[in-house]
Amino acid sequence: MQNSINQQGCCAPFGAGRPTGQKGKDKHMTKQTSGVASAGPNRRRDGEPLGANSEIGRKLKQYYDELVSDEVPDRFAQLLSQLEQAEPEQQKD
Amino acid sequence: MAASLGFKGDLLATIPGLRAFAMSLSQNADRADDLVQETLVKAWDKQSSFQPGTNLKAWLFTILRNEFYSQMRKRGREVQDSEGLLTARLAVHPSQHGRLDLDDFRKALEQLPEDQREAIILIGASGFSYEEAAEICGCAVGTIKSRVSRARNRLQEILDISGEADYGPDAIAAQVMGSTVG
Repeated sequence: MQNSINQQGCCAPFGAGRPTGQKGKDKHMTKQTSGVASAGPNRRRDGEPLGANSEIGRKLKQYYDELVSDEVPDRFAQLLSQLEQAEPEQQKD
Repeated sequence: MAASLGFKGDLLATIPGLRAFAMSLSQNADRADDLVQETLVKAWDKQSSFQPGTNLKAWLFTILRNEFYSQMRKRGREVQDSEGLLTARLAVHPSQHGRLDLDDFRKALEQLPEDQREAIILIGASGFSYEEAAEICGCAVGTIKSRVSRARNRLQEILDISGEADYGPDAIAAQVMGSTVG
């Protein structure tokens, strides 16, 4: 899983594709939060923006894992059984 | 018959992931389960169009995502919130720097526009590659990368994480692009 994050050394240069759905607004973000400079010395560069070493990455996983481990209601298995029974003679290879 | 059972089993196995993705998109448990149900029915009907050996999970996520956006359109809701407005509304301040409460994180995630939220979830949590995520979202790989980095910037802003926030989006985009590690 970490791999998918790390293996982006791919060839597409940033912005090479047409940025569909992106608006000129993006520029606004350039001014960023310079007010946070107080903690400036703290900045670390871990090179993997969503990797295990970033706080955001960790929380994201934690958030998602919690959702994934939620117990699945029976209704979905029942639904699939119904769908299966609805077309029992279907033959595919 | 056997193939059909296999397909059913494969579907069952992806349900937890589908529910998590549906929940991340809709932020609502009932809607999420409706989305999953709809996805399973559609997937079943279209199973002959699925190429065995290709990525079933990505295929299902695509169906679910399409269903989500088509439901949103029916509800007449704006797909994209205007950027910036929501963020400004609520700033979450973790009690300790670098130590985020999961609840705070959840709230912050809710504030992201859908396109950014889904991108960061697909890449950072669901385990898809940028290429797969682009396929699922029907957009260019570069678009996914830019959404992920904007989502990340936004989350850092909302959560008031300093540190990397000092880098402008270009620097972060460059990182996302996979500059050398270490």
